[in-house]
Amino acid sequence: MATGGSLIRVTGLKKYYNKGAIKALDDVSVDINRDDVMVVIGPSGSGKSTFLRSLNLLEEPTEGSIFFDGVDITKPRVKTRDGKTVKLNIDQHRQKMGMVFQHFNLFPHKTILDNMTLAPIKVRHMDKAAAEEKALTLLDRVGLKDRAGAYPIQLSGGQKQRVAIVRALAMEPQVMLFDEPTSALDPEMVGEVLDVMKELAREGMTMVVVTHEMGFAREVGNRVLFMADGKLLEQGSPDDIFSHPENPRLQDFLSKVL
Amino acid sequence: MSNLISAEHFQMVAQYADLFKQGMIITILLSALTVLFGFFLALLLAIMRLSNLRPFRFLAVDEEGHLREQGFLFALSRFNPVSFIATVYVEVFRATPMLVQLWLVYYLLFDKSVIDLPKVTVLGFIRLERFIPGVVALALNSGAYLSEIIRAGIQSIDGGQTEAARSLGLTQGQNMRYVVLPQAIKNTLPAIANEFVTIIKESAITYTIGVQDIMFAVNATKGALYIMAEPLIVATVMYFCLTFPTSKIIAYFERRMSRGDRR
Repeated sequence: MATGGSLIRVTGLKKYYNKGAIKALDDVSVDINRDDVMVVIGPSGSGKSTFLRSLNLLEEPTEGSIFFDGVDITKPRVKTRDGKTVKLNIDQHRQKMGMVFQHFNLFPHKTILDNMTLAPIKVRHMDKAAAEEKALTLLDRVGLKDRAGAYPIQLSGGQKQRVAIVRALAMEPQVMLFDEPTSALDPEMVGEVLDVMKELAREGMTMVVVTHEMGFAREVGNRVLFMADGKLLEQGSPDDIFSHPENPRLQDFLSKVL
Repeated sequence: MSNLISAEHFQMVAQYADLFKQGMIITILLSALTVLFGFFLALLLAIMRLSNLRPFRFLAVDEEGHLREQGFLFALSRFNPVSFIATVYVEVFRATPMLVQLWLVYYLLFDKSVIDLPKVTVLGFIRLERFIPGVVALALNSGAYLSEIIRAGIQSIDGGQTEAARSLGLTQGQNMRYVVLPQAIKNTLPAIANEFVTIIKESAITYTIGVQDIMFAVNATKGALYIMAEPLIVATVMYFCLTFPTSKIIAYFERRMSRGDRR
């Protein structure tokens, strides 16, 4: 399924706290290709969320590089093709990376529709009518068109997360980052969110998913990363990881979660 | 000077009703302008204090490309002059008496030495060369207090809100304006209302630089009639009539802004 080369290249990524006493990320290098559905698994505190959040610089890495579409976004200044040095505009890159959070992070003072149109109007300068039309189309896709006028507090957890996903999609990102999207949900609502993510994957969206849903990793992922203690210990196809795990840490982890 | 409160004395005070009426209008205008300017000053100060400007950030990396972890250059690399200035401002204004600030502003800044205000009287009783220094001093003072309230409000907003906004590509400023501040101001409205009420009350000291507010009317009546209690009671009632509705009006806006909190 993977068709087009590397979209995000991570090299030697390190994130230290307390002057290196805590290594949240310890030399992680990985290539994320277009159309990849990369699932990151590992015990809590393994650095998988830090890794994901580094990809759009919500966490500033201590060392290492992240090339997004060929541009090293960890450097404050970048060289353009014609050799000029310009200041990196991180907001421009973040627009192209949608992100979905564990706790949804919808804006509670805005209606669902306003949540969805804020960034398209203010960042992409779409006119209001067009942004709303697009938002309603997206809401319809996840079965929430009739809740457009509601406030986030009036929605269930599963509904909030579906809104959060289409809110990110409204910016037409090139990649979607999911940070434990179902961990804060009641069990009966996990399915509705995973279904939306599965459909996205089927449509060919490039996705990086940090999750504890091993079923999802196995069924939808085309690559699985296993992290522990800030290190990337093993990567491979779901079959490699789940059926033929090599690293003892991974074997131990799987014996606990499967 | 009699201490007895009598109806007769109130009738005598009534002769000066115009003075009290003008005093009330001045107190209202003074407070309203103070609130307006103080609020914007407070917003500016709060954002300055929470800003992340580190002009010497480049010093964080040493000659070998490693991050410094201690020492003078490390401290300097983290230094935020904008935040520092705002912090000093807030601390100084909160740690000194309002009366001193008022007199400093009036006698040092406006009393012909630096800014020479023309002697203009508006509406026949507002002497601008007294009124403007009063507004400036009160706004400088309340800005310091309000900025702490707004800063607490901004910090009370879950970091996930900013993360979501920035992940959508909103700039730091857009995030503040559309996501954080509306929620922060809503959460702090009770405290802001309190500060507004405080300003109305504190404006009373501006009579010491000759602003003709309610207290000025009290003083004038006292001087003319040699009675103290009755003018003070009138002033008390007037101040209450100003502060009580103010808190009620803000409570109304608070209810209106909390739409997102209700099921």
